[in-house]
Amino acid sequence: MDNPLVQPDPGLFFWTILTFLTLVFLLKKFAWGPLLKALEERQETIRKSLDDAEQAKQELTRLQDESAQIIAEARAEAQSIVTKSRAEAERVREDLKEKAKGEADALLKNAERQIQLETDRAVQQIRQEVVELSLNVASKLIRKNLTQEDNDALIQESLSQIESSSQH
Amino acid sequence: MSAAQQAETAQHAGDHAEDAAHGAEEGFDAGTVIIEHVANSSHDHPVLHLPHIEIAGIDFSITKHVMMMWLVAGFLFLLITLTTRRFLAQERPIPTGFMTGLEWLVQSIRDSIVLPNVGAKWVNTWTPVILTLFLFILVCNAVGLVPIFEVFGLVDRYVLGNGYSDDSMINSVLHGGTTATANYNVTAALATITFFSIMIAGTIAHGFIHHWKNLVPPGLAWPVYILLIPIEFMGLFVKPFALTMRLAANMTGGHIALLSILSLVFIFTQVFESAALGIGVGFTVAVPLAVGISALEVIVVMVQAYVFTLLTTVFIGMAINVHH
Repeated sequence: MDNPLVQPDPGLFFWTILTFLTLVFLLKKFAWGPLLKALEERQETIRKSLDDAEQAKQELTRLQDESAQIIAEARAEAQSIVTKSRAEAERVREDLKEKAKGEADALLKNAERQIQLETDRAVQQIRQEVVELSLNVASKLIRKNLTQEDNDALIQESLSQIESSSQH
Repeated sequence: MSAAQQAETAQHAGDHAEDAAHGAEEGFDAGTVIIEHVANSSHDHPVLHLPHIEIAGIDFSITKHVMMMWLVAGFLFLLITLTTRRFLAQERPIPTGFMTGLEWLVQSIRDSIVLPNVGAKWVNTWTPVILTLFLFILVCNAVGLVPIFEVFGLVDRYVLGNGYSDDSMINSVLHGGTTATANYNVTAALATITFFSIMIAGTIAHGFIHHWKNLVPPGLAWPVYILLIPIEFMGLFVKPFALTMRLAANMTGGHIALLSILSLVFIFTQVFESAALGIGVGFTVAVPLAVGISALEVIVVMVQAYVFTLLTTVFIGMAINVHH
């Protein structure tokens, strides 16, 4: 036991235990305890932040989807409105055209009838006047030469002539 | 100072003067020098001259290994506490500088050593102990590799001209950058901490009676117990004994190898009576080899601190989570 390398040394043994336990106590109180707590808290914070970020990302995706859907819907609606209005306009135009055509037709018919009436009346009048004129002329010419029978026959003849000519 | 001590000091001083006067006449005894560098200082020459305390025949003198441990403990306490306090005083706890490394260390020890062994329930109970154990052993191991105390001693003796005296605190520490963990008494004390940690862990986790029942698996035939109980009981003491021997022997071994190789310089000088040859051997063989061994020692220092810590954690974990 003379070798100093293997000399039992209870004093050193005691000091080692005392030193170490004191160091453990002091470090635990002033360093490890607060540090471990802070590290755990920070881990929790990081985990929470990541969760929050993930949630926010999902929320954003959801909102984006939603807005895209709304836009698509709006676009479809606009399209349908345009189509519908175009059809409506077409229909209204057709209606108006139809109506105008009808009115024009009616007017035309009316005018035609008027013309026909006027013509008829004029022809009638002319015929009347011709008869009278002829009668006058004839009576003046024939008063002396002709008998009553010749007279009637002539009138009849000229009337039918006028009739046939007026027919053309 | 007692008369005996004075006389011894005088004799020592005389020896030294003689050494200087007669050069290598007395011869170079590598063994003595190495032992002096590796071993603890004698209780007759404590580093701090506190009143001599002796309780039940135990000498509580402050030797250089005690001094070393106090320096390490103080250094660790100040470094870690100040770093942590500054970190925690910040409004937002963002680690910077040294705190980054400390945080890495704390988290690796907690998450990859303590947590898998001890379990989530007791992790906060044992992490501070394991962290302190690891850093204490690591720094005690590492300090021995730093020849800073030799430098202090040389400055004290040759620059400040204080001469040689065992009463000088610096000279007392001078004999080698001393490694407290190379002393069996220190490692035995640390292993004792492990031993009681195992007991305490088992007792607070299972209760006193149940902890001792966990020593052997239940439900075996009685002849097995006759064999098993003594074996497991021996195991209780073998575990810390193995820790003691492993750490101290590794630390001592490295230092002895290093010093032996550096001794080649003086051995060659003496044997061939040529300082030039000694210095030549020093430059070509001893110093390159010593550098290599020092590099190896850096690894050993970390590995041994890790092994001691890991095994302590495993033993504590075995007492808490009993697997049979």
